[in-house]
Amino acid sequence: MKLSSPRRTASRASAVAAGIASIALLASCSVANSESQGGGEGGTDETLRVVLTQEPPTLEACDANLTSTGVVVRSTVTEPLVERNPSTGDLEPLLATEWEQTGDNEWTFAIREGVTFQDGTPFDAEAAAYSIDRAVNGDLGCNVEGYIFGDDDLEVEATDATTLTVTTPNPDPILPLKLSFIEIVSPETSNTEFVREPVGTGPYAIGEWQAGTKLTLDRNDDYWGDAPEFSSVEYQWRSEGTVRAAMITSGEADIALGLSAEDGIGDLGVSYPNNETIALRFSGQTAPLDDIRIRQAINYAIDREGIVSSLYPDGDKVAAQLIPEGIVGFNADLEPWPFDVEKAKSLVEEAKADGVPVDTQIIMPVRTAQFPKVSELGEVLREQLAAIGLNVELRMVDTTQHLQYQLSPFVTNEGPIAMLVQHGNQAGDAQFTVEQYMLTGGAQAEFGDPGLDELINTARTLTGEERQAAYEEAFAFERENVVALAPIAHQTVMLGLADRVTYEPNSSTGDELRIKEVSLAG
Amino acid sequence: MWTYLRRRILQSALPLIAVVLGVFVLARLTGDPSKLYLPLNATDQMREDFAARNGFDKPIWEQMGDYFLGVLRLDFGESLRTGEPAAEMALRAFPATLQLAAVTMVLAIIVAVVLGSWASLKPNGIADRIVSFFSMTAASVPDFWIAILGIWIFAITLGWLPTSGTSGPLVWILPIATLMLRPVGVLAQVVRGSMVTVLGQPYIKVARSRGAGEMHIVTKHALRNAAAPALTVAGDLAVGLVNGAVVVESIFGWPGIGKLMIDSILQRDFAVLQAAVLITALAIFALNIIIDLGYALLDPRVRPTAGTRARRRGPGAISDTKAEALTNV
Repeated sequence: MKLSSPRRTASRASAVAAGIASIALLASCSVANSESQGGGEGGTDETLRVVLTQEPPTLEACDANLTSTGVVVRSTVTEPLVERNPSTGDLEPLLATEWEQTGDNEWTFAIREGVTFQDGTPFDAEAAAYSIDRAVNGDLGCNVEGYIFGDDDLEVEATDATTLTVTTPNPDPILPLKLSFIEIVSPETSNTEFVREPVGTGPYAIGEWQAGTKLTLDRNDDYWGDAPEFSSVEYQWRSEGTVRAAMITSGEADIALGLSAEDGIGDLGVSYPNNETIALRFSGQTAPLDDIRIRQAINYAIDREGIVSSLYPDGDKVAAQLIPEGIVGFNADLEPWPFDVEKAKSLVEEAKADGVPVDTQIIMPVRTAQFPKVSELGEVLREQLAAIGLNVELRMVDTTQHLQYQLSPFVTNEGPIAMLVQHGNQAGDAQFTVEQYMLTGGAQAEFGDPGLDELINTARTLTGEERQAAYEEAFAFERENVVALAPIAHQTVMLGLADRVTYEPNSSTGDELRIKEVSLAG
Repeated sequence: MWTYLRRRILQSALPLIAVVLGVFVLARLTGDPSKLYLPLNATDQMREDFAARNGFDKPIWEQMGDYFLGVLRLDFGESLRTGEPAAEMALRAFPATLQLAAVTMVLAIIVAVVLGSWASLKPNGIADRIVSFFSMTAASVPDFWIAILGIWIFAITLGWLPTSGTSGPLVWILPIATLMLRPVGVLAQVVRGSMVTVLGQPYIKVARSRGAGEMHIVTKHALRNAAAPALTVAGDLAVGLVNGAVVVESIFGWPGIGKLMIDSILQRDFAVLQAAVLITALAIFALNIIIDLGYALLDPRVRPTAGTRARRRGPGAISDTKAEALTNV
């Protein structure tokens, strides 16, 4: 055995000391990834601190229909020509002051004067045309192009500095609504590459984006509208709801998005509808779901009142159709399916007597963590369908797998499928719902009906009252004759709001949090 | 020494390529990213354009060839999600994880050595029972629960610490305390176990009979010989931390590699996933080499030789490696 010499001991002791010192040093500086921190912690009275559910992947304005991007960008950094009022559904002027249909396929917009972009470039009809062209007609592959316009290209022309005409390939009565999704960016913006930090006309300009940590917007002092109240806006993101809620209750943030009642937000939580509806969607060409009696029976078997009152007591509403009130085309006369187990059972018996294989296992794909208590909901649904004699297998899947079931081409080799879908109509018009879920060949419609197709194809071309009535009829027809869906509930989410700020959330808060609508309390 | 290093690096290259290949293929088996990245109502034409723009329309072996050619030019591709270079994203996130792992491990080792030594002085004594109870609890409570409990107690109820985030020195406390628990629990038991063995050895009795103080015996004679198995276990725990502490990073908003990896898996962001796996694998290989070298430093009888995983053995095994080690000197 060899004992250590005193010198070695001393050098080891100093090595340990150095080690501890270096830890202390490491711990005292900030996290490697966060770079300079400035004096932002705690914030001044004029900094609004928002905590999101995730970091925006990009702030590219032509991807702003993506929730995680749009919540920061839309109507805050950049603005569209017209803006939809989420409460009334009306279109309101923003960068365009008025608009009218000037031909079957042509719309004309009067462009607001005296507006400049955050980089000093003046805004005019040319600039508006550039942005629309970039988002809709370019090769960028903008998300908004797929979301709103499909393969259709628009012809945009600035006839003079304040007049813009837009020509569509087919008559389009809701073109202004569609254009409310196009955020106008500076003509200096590249149209061959995505731009992560856009320059717009909005009340706040992008300041510093510390990737992974924090995003700061600064007040645009040259904003054309009412002067913004906060000198800056600081966005952070936390994936855990409990942590977002804790940031509000501990005073670290002013607004927290995407909370649910379990997150411990207490009195600081404000519940609001988010235009999302949950439903079961049937693969109506596979036995036994190809028999309308089975689809009706499932609708009778679901205890919607019970589900809402036990799982979602904070404002969710029992649903009779796939869109909530406030969307053009909502049919207020439709009553939710009544909960009637006996009727459901007799429908199943009747079908069975006619030789329908009612024992066939029905797959119910449910997406993990899609919304609060989704797995509990799946269990409840399975139980309720089992109660009327159907054989349902609950299948919990992740997002990508869920999309395989959700989108055309559909899964056809797993037998009958009744999948739990969550549909959000953020555009405000039933067209974005029925052409997806009810029209034969729709990307999310597993089957259709010629009569329904006709109604839908006519509704598309109508405006005003006629349009409203036509979509109402389509929903009623689907309910009566097709039953492709079992609507369950219109959802609500919760927002955490610190005492020092005032804000009235609305159905589009999660998609575009308009900072100009937030103010200091008192 | 240099021969050893060279050999280890060459040996590491093959598994490294295998890891990246595996991730490349497996990630692509899990689903079509166009469904995630395009709106639900995108047309077929748009899906085709998307695939063509990102090279997903080519056969997988061709995609793989392109990827490895790119890697040779240090081009790791671009993120589907953000459009940023994948390597940049991985390199930005990795230091945050490394800092967290390093501070956690050093503190965990210090605490575990103190606790383990204390417990070993009197096996089954009161100190031993307390330490055992603590380490069992620490090693078995879920991170998630402890993290949320910590936030609730220290940030909400007491208001002493920030809930999460990255600014200021205080934000380090909760994540590190959460992360430390398991390593401290496991290591304290390992240190205790090997200390009990070592303290029963004849040479300790000799030292005691010569009148050496207990403190002197523990720190000067026993700990050094008991350190080897602890280092082995600490190495494995450190590898786990470098891999990214996903739960802790997610909860505390720590911009590390674990969170980045999970996000890129969920988002089918292949290039970023590959870059993150590659950088983590590199770090783990480096860490393993460092641990082997550290083992040799602790026990001069062991000289690192490629192929000998001496550090994997417990204290009783040292004598077995002696002959082998001597022949390799």
